[in-house]
Amino acid sequence: MVDLEFFLEYYEFLKQEKEKGKKIIAYMSHDNIPEELIDAAGFIPLRLIFSGNDELMDKGADYLPTSTCSFALSTIGLFSVKPNKYRFLDLIDYFIVSNHCVSDICSSEIICKYFDIPRIDFYVPYILSENGLKYYRIELIEFKKKLEEIRGSSISNEDIINSIEKYNRFRRNISKIKYYDISGSDKLELYQKALLYGPKILELRNFNVNNAGQININNKKNVILTGCSIFLGDDLIEIIEKGGGNVIFLDTWVGDVYFSQTLEDNWLDQQKKNNPFDILTEMFKRNTYTDHVVPNFIEYKIKKIVSIINNLKEKLGISNIGVINHIIKFCDHMSLPREQLKEKLQAKNYFVLNIERDYSRASHGQLSTRIEAFLEMI
Amino acid sequence: MSLMTDDVINFTSMLRMSYDFLHSGRKFNIKSNRKGKKLISVVFPFSDLVFAAKAIPIFPIRLEKFKVNTYLEALNSASGLFGWKAVSNFLGFIRKFDFLKVFDGIIDDVINSLNYKYNNMYDLGIEEGVSNDFCYGIKALYGMHSSRHNNLDANLNVIIRCSAFNKYYESLKRFSDNLIWLDIPPRNIGNALEICTGNVKETISQLEKLTGNSITDNDLRKQFRISNECRELYKEIIYEISNSNFYPCNPATFSEILALLSISFQDFNSNAETYLKNFRNLVKEMKERIRKKIGMDVSNRPRILLTPRFGGWEPESHNLIYKMGGRLLYADWEILGALENIEVYAYSDPIEAYAKFLMDITTKGVGCDNNALTDSYIRVARKMDVDGLIFIELFGCHSISNCYTMLRQKVRKELEIPTTALTFNKIGENIEQVKTRLGAFMEMFN
Ligand code: SF4
Ligand code: SF4
Repeated sequence: MVDLEFFLEYYEFLKQEKEKGKKIIAYMSHDNIPEELIDAAGFIPLRLIFSGNDELMDKGADYLPTSTCSFALSTIGLFSVKPNKYRFLDLIDYFIVSNHCVSDICSSEIICKYFDIPRIDFYVPYILSENGLKYYRIELIEFKKKLEEIRGSSISNEDIINSIEKYNRFRRNISKIKYYDISGSDKLELYQKALLYGPKILELRNFNVNNAGQININNKKNVILTGCSIFLGDDLIEIIEKGGGNVIFLDTWVGDVYFSQTLEDNWLDQQKKNNPFDILTEMFKRNTYTDHVVPNFIEYKIKKIVSIINNLKEKLGISNIGVINHIIKFCDHMSLPREQLKEKLQAKNYFVLNIERDYSRASHGQLSTRIEAFLEMI
Repeated sequence: MSLMTDDVINFTSMLRMSYDFLHSGRKFNIKSNRKGKKLISVVFPFSDLVFAAKAIPIFPIRLEKFKVNTYLEALNSASGLFGWKAVSNFLGFIRKFDFLKVFDGIIDDVINSLNYKYNNMYDLGIEEGVSNDFCYGIKALYGMHSSRHNNLDANLNVIIRCSAFNKYYESLKRFSDNLIWLDIPPRNIGNALEICTGNVKETISQLEKLTGNSITDNDLRKQFRISNECRELYKEIIYEISNSNFYPCNPATFSEILALLSISFQDFNSNAETYLKNFRNLVKEMKERIRKKIGMDVSNRPRILLTPRFGGWEPESHNLIYKMGGRLLYADWEILGALENIEVYAYSDPIEAYAKFLMDITTKGVGCDNNALTDSYIRVARKMDVDGLIFIELFGCHSISNCYTMLRQKVRKELEIPTTALTFNKIGENIEQVKTRLGAFMEMFN
């Protein structure tokens, strides 16, 4: 898990960028936000990927009912409590209100309204159809206009293409760590840091992947983690490891779902002469694993899990792999399909554990017991 | 709950609507009763395209068998012979000799059997795997599909801003391969209206494929005219009749009528023309009774708006408010913009008009965020000139009913009327708590 020092470093990083005149644009939304446009505008995207605790959830509940997802409540709580290590939140200039899920809309709106942060709207269609893509494009146009308004000058197509290439390289590089022989918690930490720093991380001195192998995966109970992301500061992955498990693959947004969204160089080269919005729209179209869209989320998810397992078996020669489906309590996207996902995977003879939990301290004991019992079965 | 009996017994239209609501759906479980028409589940007032496709829209709870007393059944048979008006007069007459308390049973059954069935469906939804953490509406709807999916030919899924609901739509794949989708752009920017029009066209072609019927512009216009008239009548009840100092019935009955209207408005009891006829009669009967001073003087009773109720609410609330000296009003569809008319002109494009109607609901009524939604609450509360507002904080709702903090501030600033929030999980649970909260709230009007 990242330490205090990381938060200080991150604060310094954002502060320096801000001193260069860059604006910090924050958002809760898990994906489909065109960060390439933010980058092309010369701004810094700040993904809010911080988990919570009892205090933060309680504070969030001053604004939304307790039956809101713990991540959303805690994110509001962060702005309300402003714990010392999160003082980089004071550097935020704009906040994107988006509809990844309705909790995203409501919490982001509250953060803007009650903590006085100017908002930028960016809404994403729910259905991936031709018309959905057309709508996404309109949102891109509006978004670009808004960014241009903020920076006071237009953003060139060339700058957008450069940012697209930059982010593409970044994702491709980071996505490689999925097969590295390091522990799940180390992978997660890298993913989390990468999401916060963006492409900049590839330039940072202290960012290196120890590929020498800290653990021997064959001696561990290997699991794929799917469902909700493990946000920064959450010790779920440590609980799994303490129980004798190893998260061999993070099939979550803070994980492979984000970093696997890469474009082939050839294709990108051909597209360069076109409008960059075509590329961004194509990226949205290809993002079929996002939990935002309907109606094929479950099918895609199952197909992906099956292919991950087959791949791992083939590549690493592992036989038994369990699936832990992580559901943050009251998450609209992951909670409703949980039984269907489990049924369908079990029908393929996979071991599946649905864990639904919030960020309260009290849920820890039960969580470890259930995880241990599950790992025993594998 | 006999307090409503005297009122409703003379409302022929209400008896008819209640009967249709409870009984006309069940017959569609038998294929031969559909006369070759496809049966399509709908939720929210989005049944127009289904009617235009000459299919049968149904809010799926209506496929259930309700535990309704035999008298309502008998009334329906009698109405077939003598007409509903004659039956109603007859009922009014024998009401005087009602030592068997038959009529109390009729009304009680309509209300209670609906609530009982809703709770049944809710339990079934949980049994079928929906997490307890979802709202009452989603659990109950899932239960309804689990119970009757075999009888449905398709489901019309109209995308709304609630992500839980969109995921619920997707979960219906477990029961059916025939999910017909209608996506609505979240904001009205750029050529979003054109895109929405394209989406409506796509839905129309899916309906045409399913039913084998083509949907002409005239089919659409005809249906929109019917539903527009229903909307106008609905608004007349909400804004005019509910605002009068004399009610055609006691205020609890009035609330009950509003509640039944809002549930049945989703599928027009599967027959738009009959529904309209009943709606016309209902408004006419209400006005007639007010004119003749049949009903109740309510001038000294504060008018309280309760919202949102469509995802689940405690139906006992209106009886409690009535007993505490107030009158409770429901106007969800108006708040959410679903009672706006669909433009119908001879030479305009009805598909585009319908797309505009849907986009207005999404962007102005329900709103793409809680700011727009809370504005809708304020707009309607102001227009209805209500004296107080009760907000339902529905357990598990992350969308419509979670904006209380924002709403309370706006109400204080813009309306200056008392407001309170009630939490709700399941019908019949926590009645005592509801009573206490409502009691404290109503104190403010003394
Ligand atoms: S965890 Fe789920 S409900 Fe919460 S913000 Fe993410 S997708 Fe939305
Ligand atoms: S808006 Fe609320 S009540 Fe309606 S379906 Fe969504 S969660 Fe349920």
